[in-house]
Amino acid sequence: MTTTLDTGTGTPTGTATAASARGLTRTYGDGDSTVHALRGVDLDLPAGRFTAIMGPSGSGKSTLMHCLAGLDAATSGTVTVAGRDLAGLDDTALTLFRREHIGFVFQAFNLLPMLTAGQNILLPLELAGRAVDRDRYDQVVAVLGLADRLGHLPSQLSGGQQQRVAIARALVTQPDIVFADEPTGNLDSEASAEVLGHLRRSVRELGMTVVMVTHELDAAAYADDVVVIHDGAVTAHLTDPGQDQLVAALRGRVA
Amino acid sequence: MRTVLVASMRHHTRRYVAASVAVAIGVAFIVVVGMLTGATRSGLTADVGAPVRGADHVVSTSTTEEVDRLVEAAADSGVPALTLGYAMEPVTRDGVQLAATVDVAEASLDPRLQWQQLEDGRFPAAAGEALADVNRAKSNDVRLGDVVRVGTGDAAVDVEVVGMVDSPAAMGASLYVPWHDLRRLEDTLWVHAVAWGGSAAEARTAAPDATVEPAADWVAARQAEISRGVDVIAIMALLFVAIALFVGVLVITNTFSILFAQRMRDFALLRCVGVTRRQLRRAIRLEALALGLVAAGVGVVLGALAGAGLVALVRRWFTDMGPAAVDPVWTGSAFAVGTLVTLGAAWLPTRTATRVLPLAALRPDTGVDVRSAAGRWRLGLAALCLSGGTALLALAVAGSSLPAMLAGGVVSFVGVLLVGPVLVPWLIRLADRLPASGPVRRLATGNAVRNPRRTATTAASLLVGVTLTTAILTGLASSRTAIDRDMDESYPLDASITAVDAPLEASLVGRVAGTAGVTDARGLDGTVATVGRVDLPLLGVGGDTGVVRGPADLAPADGIVRLPYAVVEELPTRLGDRVWEDAEITVVVAGRERTLRVETGSGWGRAGLVSPATLAALDPEPRPMAVWARAGDGTDAEDLSGDLAALAGAAGAELGGGFANRTWVDLQVDILTGAVVGLMAVAIVIALVGIANTLGLSVLERARENALLRAMGLTRRQLRRAMAVEGLLLSSVATVLGTAVGLVFAWVGVQVMVAGVVDGAGFTVPVWQLAVVAAVAGLAGLAACVVPARRAARVTPAAGLALD
Ligand SMILES: Nc1ncnc2c1ncn2[C@@H]1O[C@H](COP(=O)(O)OP(=O)(O)O)[C@@H](O)[C@H]1O
Ligand SMILES: [Mg+2]
Repeated sequence: MTTTLDTGTGTPTGTATAASARGLTRTYGDGDSTVHALRGVDLDLPAGRFTAIMGPSGSGKSTLMHCLAGLDAATSGTVTVAGRDLAGLDDTALTLFRREHIGFVFQAFNLLPMLTAGQNILLPLELAGRAVDRDRYDQVVAVLGLADRLGHLPSQLSGGQQQRVAIARALVTQPDIVFADEPTGNLDSEASAEVLGHLRRSVRELGMTVVMVTHELDAAAYADDVVVIHDGAVTAHLTDPGQDQLVAALRGRVA
Repeated sequence: MRTVLVASMRHHTRRYVAASVAVAIGVAFIVVVGMLTGATRSGLTADVGAPVRGADHVVSTSTTEEVDRLVEAAADSGVPALTLGYAMEPVTRDGVQLAATVDVAEASLDPRLQWQQLEDGRFPAAAGEALADVNRAKSNDVRLGDVVRVGTGDAAVDVEVVGMVDSPAAMGASLYVPWHDLRRLEDTLWVHAVAWGGSAAEARTAAPDATVEPAADWVAARQAEISRGVDVIAIMALLFVAIALFVGVLVITNTFSILFAQRMRDFALLRCVGVTRRQLRRAIRLEALALGLVAAGVGVVLGALAGAGLVALVRRWFTDMGPAAVDPVWTGSAFAVGTLVTLGAAWLPTRTATRVLPLAALRPDTGVDVRSAAGRWRLGLAALCLSGGTALLALAVAGSSLPAMLAGGVVSFVGVLLVGPVLVPWLIRLADRLPASGPVRRLATGNAVRNPRRTATTAASLLVGVTLTTAILTGLASSRTAIDRDMDESYPLDASITAVDAPLEASLVGRVAGTAGVTDARGLDGTVATVGRVDLPLLGVGGDTGVVRGPADLAPADGIVRLPYAVVEELPTRLGDRVWEDAEITVVVAGRERTLRVETGSGWGRAGLVSPATLAALDPEPRPMAVWARAGDGTDAEDLSGDLAALAGAAGAELGGGFANRTWVDLQVDILTGAVVGLMAVAIVIALVGIANTLGLSVLERARENALLRAMGLTRRQLRRAMAVEGLLLSSVATVLGTAVGLVFAWVGVQVMVAGVVDGAGFTVPVWQLAVVAAVAGLAGLAACVVPARRAARVTPAAGLALD
C-alpha cells in the first residue's frame, strides 16, 4: 500500500498510465473575477483501475475531469490520454479522439430523450460510423442487466436504470478510459450501490479504466484508488486506501 | 411581480429578437405602403386644378359635336374656353420618329387660360406653334425652335415648339398645340371637358346635354377620383401586408410557445411560491405588450426611414411623386396593429403556459423535452376544412365564381395548416427515406420531427409565402399565355412597311433586315388594285413567311382576298354591304377583274392579301409592295419603330405592326409579376426570420443534449451540418408542400378567372420561375440556420454540460 501525500504523482509501479496531467491549470474569467478552478495539478491515473476523484463541492473535480477528458481546454499545462498529448489537438481532432478513446457517464441528463435505451447505447458507434460489435454489445448489456429494457425511452426508465444505460454506452466502444462525473449524485443509496457495483465490475471483469468524480465517501469506497482534491490542487493520491486512511486524508485537508 | 417581470424580460431579451424583427418588419411594411401611396396621392392631386384656374365653370361632355359647339360659341362671344383632353399621336422630326405615342393637349391662345408654368420661350400666339413639356422634351431631345410633325397621313400637323413648360402629372400632357391644330387629330382625340370662362347659362345654351359645374366642384371630384385610384393600390398592397402580418403571427405565436415551454419550470416555481394564475397571466401578457410596443416602435421608425428613402428614390425618376410625409393616423394605426398582433399572437401560448401546475416545479428536471401532438379535435377540424374547402373550390370551378374560390382557398388552406402537425413530420420522415442517410441526417430528422406542432408552425410560416407566390406566378404565367395568344391574333406582325401606291425599292428588305432588333424580314410582292373606288396594295402571301406570329400564317387560299376592317369601312355602302352579306368583292388590276371571296381581319397594315396564284392571275408581273418584319424579344419598341419609321418615311410607305403594343402588354405583366414577387418577399423574409428563430431557440433548449452529443464524439462540423439539414428539411418540406398547394390554387384560379374571359385558356406552369422560388426558399432555410448552427457549435461540451 503506497501513500503519497501532497503533490503526489506516484503511480503504482509496473502499471501503465491511462491518463496524466502535468502543471494543469484552468482559470475562469479574468481581472478581479478570476476563478482558479485548477492550480497546477500533476496527476497520473493508472490503467485497469477504478479511481475516485474526491473533494468538497466547488473544489474543481468536474473541471479536472473535463480537462482530462478533452471536453474543455486547459489554461496551461499538459494532459496526456492513452499516450496522446491533448494540447496539440484542435476541436475536431479532439472530438475524434474522444470517440475512439474515451467514454462518459454524467450525473444527469445522460441520455437523449428521443432515443430508446438501445439506441442511446449505440449512439457513439453510430456517430463514429463504426460497425457494432454484437458480442461486445451483448456482453455489456448482460453485465449491466439491461437486456429487457433496450426498447424503452429514457423517460420510461428509473434513475438507476438510466445510469446503467449510460454506463453501457460508455463501455460499448471499448474506450481506453471511462470518466464518470457524480454518476450517483441523483440516486438513492440502493440504486447508487447497484451503479457503483456495475462500474467496479466493468473494471474487474471487462478490464476497463474508470475515473469517477464524487463527493460521497460511500461512493469512493468502491474505488481502488482515491485522488483527493481541494481548492484546485491535488492533496493526496491514495492507492487501495482503507476507510480510516481515506477519512484521515479528507479530514486532514478539510480542517 | 414587477421585479420578476423586469428580470425575466432582461434575461430573455435575446430570445425575443426574432419575434420583434417579425413584428417590426410587418409594421414597417405598413408605414412604407402608407408613405408611398401618400406621396403618390399628394403628387397626383396637387395641381389637378391648374388647367381650370382661369375658368369659372367646367363643362363635362364627351361628344365631339358639343365640344365643337362650345368652342365656337366661346370664340363668338369672346368667352375664354379650354378643352381638357388629349390626342395620342406619333411625333416625328425630319422624318425621324421621336416617340410612337405622345399625349397632345390644347394650348390656349388666351393668356387667361395659359395655365402651364413657362420655363423657357413663350406661349403660342397662333396655330402652328406648340408648347412642350420640359421633362418629356428632355428625354426625346426636343428643343426650343424645333419643328415637329404630330400624327400621320393627311391629318398630320407640323408645329414649331415655341415654349417649354412644366406641367403636373394628373392633368399635363407632353405637347400642347392650339385647338385649330389639335382638332385635326380627331382620330385619337378625346376631350372629356371644357374649362369655361363664361356663365353657366351660356354653356348650357351651347351644349344642352353637358354637365356644367363650378370649377371648384369639378376639381374636388377629380381629386377624389384620383384618390380612389390610389386607394385601390393601397388596398391591394395592404392585402400583402395582411399576408405578411399573418406570417408574423405564426412566427410570434411560435416564439412564445417555445419560450414558455422553456420557462415552464420558472412559471411552476412562481406558482409554488404563491403567485396566482391570474398574476402570472398578467405578467406574461405585460411582457408581450412590452415586446409589441417596442417592436412596433422600431417598425415605425424603420418604416419611416425606408419610406422616406424609397420616396426620394422614386422621385428621381418619377417627378410627379409628392414629397414623403408621415401620416399620423396611418402610422398610428400601423403601430396599434403591430402591438395588437403581438398581444393576440401571445394569447393562446399564454393560456397554455399559465395552466402549469405548481407541482411541475418539484418534478425532477429531465431536460426540456417538449413534445406536442396533434389533438383529435384539431385533426377533425382539419378534415372538415379540407373537404369543405375542396367542395367550395370545385363549386367555384363549376360556376366560375370568384367568391366561392376565395372562400374555398382560405378554408382549404386553413385545413392544410391544421393538418400540418401530422403532415409536416410525415413529409420530413419521407425525406429521410432518401438514400445516403447517416447519423447526421438521422439526428436532424429526429430533431425536426420531435415537436410536430412547433415544426408545423415554423413550416407553415414559409408555406404561406411559397404557396401564394407559386399560385400568383402560375396564374400570371397562364394569363400571359392567354394574352400572348390574343396578341398573336390581333397583332400577327411585329412591323409592316406597306407601299401606298407606288412599288418599293427591292433593297428595302435588306435595310429592314439590317435594322437593330429585327430578326427576320420578308419582302412581299404585289400590285395596286382598285376595290370599289378605293385603291390599295394587293399582296401575294404564300405559305410560310417566317415572320408571322401565332399559328395563323395570314396566307389566304386561292380565290380569297383578306381585307382589313378599316378598308371595308371605306367602301361605298353598296359594296360594303355586299362584303358583309355575301362576303364577295370585285377586284380590278389594270383592267383585269376578278370576283373574290372576302375574309376580313386586321393586323397587316392597309393592304389586301391574296394567294400568289391569285395575284399572278391579276398581275403577271408583281412588284415589291411590302416588307414584313419580326422583332427579337427584348428589343426596345420605341427605337425599333423610330428606325423603321425613318425607312418607311423615306420610301413613302406606311409603317404598321403590333410590336409596341405587345411589348407594352408584356411590360405590364412583368411589372405586375415583379410587384407581386416583391410584395410577397416581405412575407417570405418574415418566415425565414421565423425559421432562424425556431432553430435558434431550439439550440438553447438542446444545449445539454448537444453537449452530450459532442462529448460522445459528434464533431463541430457534424453538429453544424445536423442543424443545416434540419433547417433545410423544414424549408424544403414547406417549399414542396407550398408549391403543390400553390399549383392547385393556381389551376383553380385559372379555371375561374381566366377561362371565363379567354376560352380554352391553358394552364401554364412557369417552371423556371417556380424553380427559382423553390431554390430561394430552400436555400434561405439553409441560410436561416447559419447563425444558430454557429452558436450551437461554438459551445464547448464542458460549458454545455455545466448549464443549469
Ligand atoms: N464556467 C465557469 N465559469 C466560471 N467559474 C466556473 C465555471 N465552471 C466552474 N467554475 C468554478 O470553478 C470552480 C470548480 O468548479 P467545479 O469543477 O465544477 O467543482 P466541483 O465539480 O468540484 O464541484 C468553482 O469555484 C466554480 O465556481
Ligand atoms: Mg461537479
